Amino acid sequence: MFAFKTIKEILLRSLPILLLYFLCFNNFEGIKEIENAILFSFNLQLIIIYIYTLKFPDYLGSSHIFFSGIINDVVLGTPLGSSSLSYLSMCFFSSYIRNVTLRSKMTTEWFTFIPAIFFSNLIFFVVINNFSNLAYYYVEVLRSSFFTFLFFPIFYFIFIKHQRQFKQE
Amino acid sequence: MSDSRDDFIIALRYALLKKGAKQKFSLFFLILFSILIITLDKLSVPPVNSVRSVLNDLVYRFSVVTSSTEKILIYLSSASKNHFTVYSENKNLREEIELLKKNNYDSSYLLTENENLKLSLGLENIKLQEEEIVTNAKVMVDQNSPYLKSLSINKGTKSGIIKGMTVFSKNYFIGTVIEANYYSARVLLINDLNSKIPTVIQDSNVNTILAGSGDYKDFRLEYLPDDFKLEPNKIIYTSGRAGFLISGLPVAITFLNKKNEVKIKALTDPRQASIVQVAKGQVRN
Repeated sequence: MFAFKTIKEILLRSLPILLLYFLCFNNFEGIKEIENAILFSFNLQLIIIYIYTLKFPDYLGSSHIFFSGIINDVVLGTPLGSSSLSYLSMCFFSSYIRNVTLRSKMTTEWFTFIPAIFFSNLIFFVVINNFSNLAYYYVEVLRSSFFTFLFFPIFYFIFIKHQRQFKQE
Repeated sequence: MSDSRDDFIIALRYALLKKGAKQKFSLFFLILFSILIITLDKLSVPPVNSVRSVLNDLVYRFSVVTSSTEKILIYLSSASKNHFTVYSENKNLREEIELLKKNNYDSSYLLTENENLKLSLGLENIKLQEEEIVTNAKVMVDQNSPYLKSLSINKGTKSGIIKGMTVFSKNYFIGTVIEANYYSARVLLINDLNSKIPTVIQDSNVNTILAGSGDYKDFRLEYLPDDFKLEPNKIIYTSGRAGFLISGLPVAITFLNKKNEVKIKALTDPRQASIVQVAKGQVRN
């Protein structure tokens, strides 16, 4: 019984890491099962990285972010290391915001997410344009970035609520 | 002024170099490491290629396991949808069978006539021959990302698959192999932005390039003559120009959309492919 409780706790604590790896292996973009729901495709990986680096950096290490980026590259077929660099730049941006912010609010974090997405996507495009011959769908990326920004508060509250369990302990 | 600049630099340095309680590497180190990997991948150094190949095989296998949850959801969704449409579909199918039975007599005559004419003209047989098929493969992961419309198959160089081979689903051309690992391969689908196929339009001698746009119901024809008017219900075949693919493979068909515009769609939805046939394609030559 004790072992089960410990395993459960470890799993709950490592939920962001497991979720991040799962999304990268699965190339998550949104709900593909429902027709037309793919219109609302968004990048949950970026949301997780941003929230956890900003609020709970001890729960999601940079090495995990790096490896999840490598997996994402393999699954997507983009140059190896490009997603890692993009995720790490998001990580860098959010840790900079964490350092310069005195009193954090959800709204300020939500709006600083815009330059963070822009910065992360910019690096990804620069790498893809210079290190591969891939063409990409600007409209889809723009749409995905928009919905990533839009869905941020929902996941913000979910993750904050999830992390509160450990803080109370 | 200088104080605020100092603060900015301190915050930047702190963000880049500070290691958290559970962090083994600093962000700066990982960013440099990523850049190194990108550079090595671009240079295509042989050891890196083999490492990438092994990594691809491993990740694809894991990806199959993780995507099974999604497949279960898709199955449940389609099963429930099928349940409600089965009656109307049955009625339509019966009507279709009657129509096909009637057409079968005409088509068998036309087929024989076509074969005889081809023999007399000395043209090659465009049908996908059994001996051309290298192997049958199962689709492991299909990607519908904003960057690449591709799918991964469970056969690789071990089964004789090499880069450049053509891939068919239900005898329709759906893409080419762009990456061959030992146990897996990646297929670039015809609807991808990067896919360009030399084609010819039915009942005309116009040579064009069929380019993907991401959607399998919205292809583009490049280098089409200005005065050429595209008509609906015309099949687009591979032209075999520049030694890319054998000629005469049906790839797409023109159709009228709801706005009465002539559009081009693939003969089969590449995303629906589950078992594919890999053929020699241009590698044959």
